[in-house]
This record gives sequence, structure tokens and C-alpha cells, in this order.
Amino acid sequence: MAGVGFRRWAQTLTKGRGVGISALLSGARAASGASKDSLPGPYPTTPAERAAAAKKYNLRVEDYEPYPDNGQGFGDYPKLPDRSQHERDPWYQWDHPDLRRNWGEPMHWNFDMYIRNRVDTSPTPVSWNSMCKQLFGFIGFMLFMFYIGEVFPAYQPVVSPAQERSDELFM
Amino acid sequence: MADYKEAPLATRPRTLDPNDYFNLSQEKRRADEERAALRANLKRQYLTQLNNPSRTELIEDPALTRWVYARANPFPHFRPTFKTSLLGIVFGVVPLVTLYYIFKTDRDRKEAQIKAGTRDRKFNLAY
Repeated sequence: MAGVGFRRWAQTLTKGRGVGISALLSGARAASGASKDSLPGPYPTTPAERAAAAKKYNLRVEDYEPYPDNGQGFGDYPKLPDRSQHERDPWYQWDHPDLRRNWGEPMHWNFDMYIRNRVDTSPTPVSWNSMCKQLFGFIGFMLFMFYIGEVFPAYQPVVSPAQERSDELFM
Repeated sequence: MADYKEAPLATRPRTLDPNDYFNLSQEKRRADEERAALRANLKRQYLTQLNNPSRTELIEDPALTRWVYARANPFPHFRPTFKTSLLGIVFGVVPLVTLYYIFKTDRDRKEAQIKAGTRDRKFNLAY
């Protein structure tokens, strides 16, 4: 983005004509790149706006569900299911195989969290209850045993009675 | 496996999802076909650009541009509500104020101890 800005500066300044400088100062943009209506906008209120937003994001009108309008800054960005990229088919020919994503596919708001190096929402091999029981059972058992070990210590230092008496003096 | 309970925020395995077995209908099939048509259209656009022998520039992804733009510009759609104000206070104001009070009282206590001569200041830097 900064590279594009500097290039424009250089081009308009080297042109040396009034038209170049005044074009830069008036804030007119070039016609290349994403146009204003293909970028995210405000929350859609009418069904026509919803249909236009669904078309913009390449979603079906029935599938398009914007985030609720609670002022948190989402605008009309679609609310996609919270699924990590771990869950996508590893054998399909994705356009971007490491991201498991096709070109043009709408990206989740938290896409950078759901990549394959990070959060994984795929199903666990063992059920939740079983995992909880195993983890907390083990931790609880170890805590209990260490407590018992504090109360009934197994290893007592072996010291002769004479050394014990002299130790007491130098406590 | 009948009592398999998935982890919160994780998904259920597809083989244990009842919707895959019971709620199949023509509408669902038509919806899947429409989605596949959208996907195929995007795939066609991408592959046309990818396999174009006279292409010299990078293929721009408008979905990526939209995502970056949406994540970088939440402020135009921001509105102060109860929830957003609460979040702002909890994450912005409360840590600042509590840390100020903690550090100030701790340092005042240490200063009072030094003034009274009760603080143990045996740390020597040089030897």
C-alpha cells in the first residue's frame, strides 16, 4: 500500500505539470484495483441490500448472514461457520493448498486464527467427558498422593544420636 | 460411541451427525448444487487467469482484499453501546488504573519503610 502511494507521488511530481499535482491534491484515485462497491460496507437493512451484499461476497442469498448490528465494527461482513482450516478435505485440489482455500472464497473474520498452524476445531477422537475425567483424574490423583507424601514422609534422614545433639546447638 | 459428546467449540464428526442421515431433502440438494455452481464459477475465473500465458502480474484475490479492508476499517461501523463501552472500560481503563494503584501503594510503602529505617537495603552493586 505504501509502495503504491510513493510511486504515485513520484509519478505526479516528475510530470511537473499542474494537472499532476492538482490530481494528487484533489484526492482522485486511479481506476485500477478494487472499486468502492466491491469492498465491505455498512450493515444491510433492506432485502435488496442483503442480496447485493451476498452477491458481492460470492454467497447464496440464503447463506448470507451478516454479523448482528451491535456496533462492534463488522459492517456487512458475512458470519461464516466457526470452522478451522484443519477440518477441510486434505485431498481436494485447493487453489492454495497450505491454506486449504480456493480463490475468491469468502474468508472468515478470524481466518488468521483458523489456519493450520493455530486453532483446530476438528472433532476430538475421545469424547469431552472422557478427556475431562482422564485429565482431572490424573491431576487430582497426583495432588492427593503428594499430599499423603507430605503427611507420611517415606524417607527420614538417618543421623546418629550424638550428631543430633550437636546439630541442635548450632540450629 | 452413542454417548460421544464433542468438545465445546469443536465440531461433531460427520459420521455421528444426524443431519447427514435424516434431514436430506430436495431443497438441500438444490442448495448444494447452487453453492457448487458459485464455486465452479470462481474456479473458472481463477484458472483462466492462472493459465494465461501472457499474464505477468500477480492474480489479485478480491475476497482477500475485502477481508483485509474489513479487518482494518472497523471504526466506520463502530457505535458506542453498552457492550462496546463495557469492553473498552474493562480492557482499556481498568488495567491502567489498577496497575497505577498497585505500583503507587507498593512504592509508597517501601519509601515509608526506608524513611523509617526499617527496610533491608543490603544490595551492593559493586562488591
